[in-house]
Amino acid sequence: MTTRDLVLIALFTAIIVVLGLIPPVTLGFIPVPITAQSMGVMLAGCIIGAKRGALAYVLLVLLVAIGLPVLAGGRGGLAIIQGPTGGFVLGWIVATFVTGLIAERLVKEGQSEIKQFTWFFIASVVGGIGVLYAIGMPWVTAVTGTPLSAVAMGSLAFIPGDIVKAVIATLAARAVLAGYPLLHARA
Amino acid sequence: MLNGLNVEGTTPLHRMSVRAKLAILLVCGLALYAVSSLFILIPAFVITALIYFTTGLAFHEAISRLKPILFTILILLIATAYLTSMREAAESFFRLMAIVLFAGAVTATTATSAFIDEITRLLQPLDRLGLVRAADVGLAFGLVLRFVPDIFNRYQSIREGHRARGLKVRPLTILAPLIILTLKDADTIAMAIDARGFRRPREKHR
Repeated sequence: MTTRDLVLIALFTAIIVVLGLIPPVTLGFIPVPITAQSMGVMLAGCIIGAKRGALAYVLLVLLVAIGLPVLAGGRGGLAIIQGPTGGFVLGWIVATFVTGLIAERLVKEGQSEIKQFTWFFIASVVGGIGVLYAIGMPWVTAVTGTPLSAVAMGSLAFIPGDIVKAVIATLAARAVLAGYPLLHARA
Repeated sequence: MLNGLNVEGTTPLHRMSVRAKLAILLVCGLALYAVSSLFILIPAFVITALIYFTTGLAFHEAISRLKPILFTILILLIATAYLTSMREAAESFFRLMAIVLFAGAVTATTATSAFIDEITRLLQPLDRLGLVRAADVGLAFGLVLRFVPDIFNRYQSIREGHRARGLKVRPLTILAPLIILTLKDADTIAMAIDARGFRRPREKHR
């Protein structure tokens, strides 16, 4: 790993921490307020790619584990990882990797804008929603004994917000790709 | 801006090594999942609660840290109690709370720097195999802590920029400039790190 990659990873982790400091936005038609931080998985995967994105999340999870209040609302500490939603926290790493993998493979710099938007959106939805819930929900069931079907029903409330996040992440990722491409850049 | 969640103190937990604390957390956490008797789970809950509330953490602070996680646990367990059985929900409650309280106690009694040192030590075997550079972890932690305030200031000035132009502050219009401006610094920072020789090339390996 080059020093530049290491710095990109650390800077992205720092960006994710800062996104947690921004006040959440409430949209009229969605029950759960949207925290900018929860877009981090999609953004990291789509902007710095699979390996660096996943490492940025490894770093974030380590920061949580060592007791720094880096998550939205000043949360942190080992209790977050050991608690019922710990699967989502650990799932971020895999989710970012998958998002990045899809984005790296399918998004090309010479493509038309529409194609880039489409692929970024698909990468965000598959990685940032599909993979994340596939890890997070069974974890909840394993830890609390709540039936998986009930957890899945409860999670439905978050899906509209997640789709909005995927759209925002797609637009932001495409803007960064146009302004300062990093997705495919390997040193 | 990013102060650790630990408090100074001299309790036995403060004096214990990080590795021992993490090992106890891991082993006890797993062991509790093998137990489903309330005669063990309730005492475990009481003991961990005693440990958690005697770490030197101010009482209101100790409570406010528990609130969000307690909220999630209660919602999930009300559903569990309704869908399966009251007893199963009660078992899950005491088990989870015992683990969460002990995890909270470890967090409250361990300094950030002690954790980083321990992570670096735990990575040594992988370092010797040439898989990771253990020293990079400390460097990466340092970089994050160093740049969070800078990036937050940048966010604020982008927000001011929006206000000055009468634009609504939206995540969408903030994210792209914030990310581009931040990542553009990567080259300069990397050069500065290399110029100071913080990441010396390996001599023995490769």
